[in-house]
Amino acid sequence: MTIVATTRRAVLWVPDWPVVAAAAEAGLSPSAPAAVLHGRGMIAVSASARTAGVRRGQRKRLAQRACPDITILPYDEARDARAFEAIAAAAEEVVAGVEISRPGMLMIPSDGAARFHGSEEALAEALVSAVAELAGCESAVGAADGLLAAVLAARASVLIPAGESAEFLAPHPIDTLTLAAMERTKREAVEDLVSVLTRLGIDTLGVFTALPFPDVLARFGPVGAWAHRIARGEDVAPPVLRRAEEDIAVEYIFEEPAQNSEQLIPVARLLAERLDAALLAAGMRCGKVRIVAGTEKGQHLERVWRTDVGARAGAFASHMADRVRWQLEGWLSSTTEGPERAGLSSLGVVAEDVVPLGSEQSYLWGGISGADSRAQRTVERLQGLLGPDGVLAVREQGGRSPRERVLALPWGQEAAESRPLAHPWPGGIPDPAPATVLTTPAPVQVLDAGGTPVSVDRRLAISAPPTWVRLEAESTDERARAANRHPASGHVGTVKGPVWDRPRPVDSWAGPWPIAQRWWSPDASRGAYLQVSLSGVDGRGDQAVLVAFRGGEWQLEAMYD
Amino acid sequence: MDASLQSARLEKARAALAGVQLRVGTSRSATGAECWDAPVLPLAPALSDALPTGLRRGQVVAVKGSTSLVLALVAEASREGSWGAMIGMPSVGVVAAARRGIELARLALVPHPGAQAPAVAGACVDGMDVVVLGPRLALTDADRRRLAARARERGSVIISAGEWSGAHSTLTVVENSWRGLGAGDGRLRARDMLVEVTSRAGGQARRVALTLDADSTPGRRREVRAGAAQVIEGAA
Repeated sequence: MTIVATTRRAVLWVPDWPVVAAAAEAGLSPSAPAAVLHGRGMIAVSASARTAGVRRGQRKRLAQRACPDITILPYDEARDARAFEAIAAAAEEVVAGVEISRPGMLMIPSDGAARFHGSEEALAEALVSAVAELAGCESAVGAADGLLAAVLAARASVLIPAGESAEFLAPHPIDTLTLAAMERTKREAVEDLVSVLTRLGIDTLGVFTALPFPDVLARFGPVGAWAHRIARGEDVAPPVLRRAEEDIAVEYIFEEPAQNSEQLIPVARLLAERLDAALLAAGMRCGKVRIVAGTEKGQHLERVWRTDVGARAGAFASHMADRVRWQLEGWLSSTTEGPERAGLSSLGVVAEDVVPLGSEQSYLWGGISGADSRAQRTVERLQGLLGPDGVLAVREQGGRSPRERVLALPWGQEAAESRPLAHPWPGGIPDPAPATVLTTPAPVQVLDAGGTPVSVDRRLAISAPPTWVRLEAESTDERARAANRHPASGHVGTVKGPVWDRPRPVDSWAGPWPIAQRWWSPDASRGAYLQVSLSGVDGRGDQAVLVAFRGGEWQLEAMYD
Repeated sequence: MDASLQSARLEKARAALAGVQLRVGTSRSATGAECWDAPVLPLAPALSDALPTGLRRGQVVAVKGSTSLVLALVAEASREGSWGAMIGMPSVGVVAAARRGIELARLALVPHPGAQAPAVAGACVDGMDVVVLGPRLALTDADRRRLAARARERGSVIISAGEWSGAHSTLTVVENSWRGLGAGDGRLRARDMLVEVTSRAGGQARRVALTLDADSTPGRRREVRAGAAQVIEGAA
């Protein structure tokens, strides 16, 4: 463990932060009794609930018995972190750099800031009033040497003079060590250590620090050594200050909502050029670009595009302008899926994965080869010819039926979400994967020996062994068309529906394999799958197909050709 | 002085000519007979019986009757780092392609080129190593001849899923039989294929038996590669 100088720091602590953040989001008053439930127990309790007897770690039922009008709020780590940004921004009004140790706690090296404000008392007062005014939230500030002493000082709202941290810490109970562990895994390790120490009869930090350091290291390993140093009022790492660095982003607000793409194309080009100039001025380049648009109805649309691999080319602006334009055309013309159609009121482009120019990560085996950049240029040319959706990049994803297992996206667009491939996906159609997967299932007839359609009932019993299969005839098959028009086929007048090919005898079959999934969501699907091998007729070879029975109809899903 | 300069220039010109010949694929041997030694893209060993000349750059291979065979032809080249494009094949099984060894990161799909098919195919032939053309593309015979000439000049391979008059080799699936299914039980396990190979250079059509999709253990993901091959000479 490296030796670092002990830093004097001020800590700003917002008590019961998860409850404060959750109550603010739910619109509850800060004085209402509330608690945040995670797993089986409460992880944070508001002050009024605490006076009613609700404690951390209590079960939901016990908490409700102690305080019947308590509001139980869900746990959301991301919400806590997001909401804490407002507190951090308020604190940054007073001091230059802060370290967010965890949502609910900020650290500030106090030397310089205290000198600037006159004294530590003045600094504490400025911090508390800034947070109360700008973020509307009660907080406590303490200062001491070393991490643990500063945290405990903040909880007690005291300022410990320099050099008195060890005496201040000594009477505290041993389980306060967990307050200095900021990450969850670290906290779990420290909790284990604390429980062992308690069972050994070591119940205060003073007793613990009286143990010789080498013995603690030998018995408890790195966690013990860390705890020993922390309990003595020392530091193991200096505070990591976050710099208030702004994203490189450009935005354009339309005076009147833009309705068609002709209005947007010059704006797209302008934004791309401005972003290019901003990146150049900052000496940066970006790996991704996020396009954000606001509609007049208050919706937000956003999409991430990968920017080009390879070196920063002069064509960046026009390249990005194309991406922005495609995106906007897609949004403005979308009618069925996605948000409802509305004019755009604002348009922004944000650079992501920003790295200094010249420090891009290159491939493991050197830069990109000539063939790679040639192929990239080809794809870009194709996108210029056909539009962004004309060229697809495909990826495998998890799923059960063959169609679900493919994720196809316009080339260069970042995936929104993908079903993880590593999950087991029980009940999927077994390998080998079919070489032809129909994008939309085609109708097919599966008939028994007497020519009656086969059906699969709710209990997956098949009504009769499939004996004949009629696929749809190819559009060029005149014979099948003529047969379909013939009155003997049962049609009179105009012919509707699919034109069936001649029935083909089933050689062998397997199934039915049920796939009923995601009944809770809009993309629910329910069907029984059958693998069928058809004997060849008219000189055509055997053919294996995958058919599905859905809602009383048979559908051709895939062909093993 | 003059003579040495001249000889150096002659040497340079010869080297340039040799480079062009290597790229285009023609060079005249000492006997004056034209022979083909264009560079070859890697091909799965099991398919080498079907295409003994290999997947030569600049050639056109037509495959009739099996998408799996198309994927198997592309797989080894894609694994070795070639870029590929599939034009006009909206229903190609991407999972099957990945299982056969095609690197999906180096594969671009143009499912519906529509009326732009000649331009799209031309751009792909210029920029990609392997271009797979689907069966229902709006290409005239003149377009096809132009594409073949362009592929020969650029050194890329065109694989046509369907008829292509003037293809260097044509693989036609004559028989295709699956094993592993029963009457309501089992699953597809192995496939035997009989492929008829005709070459533009003439000669008798050959029939080659291939086993694609050799059995893989159930429940475990494994790459299914082309299995054993057996040549039946002189059939048909």
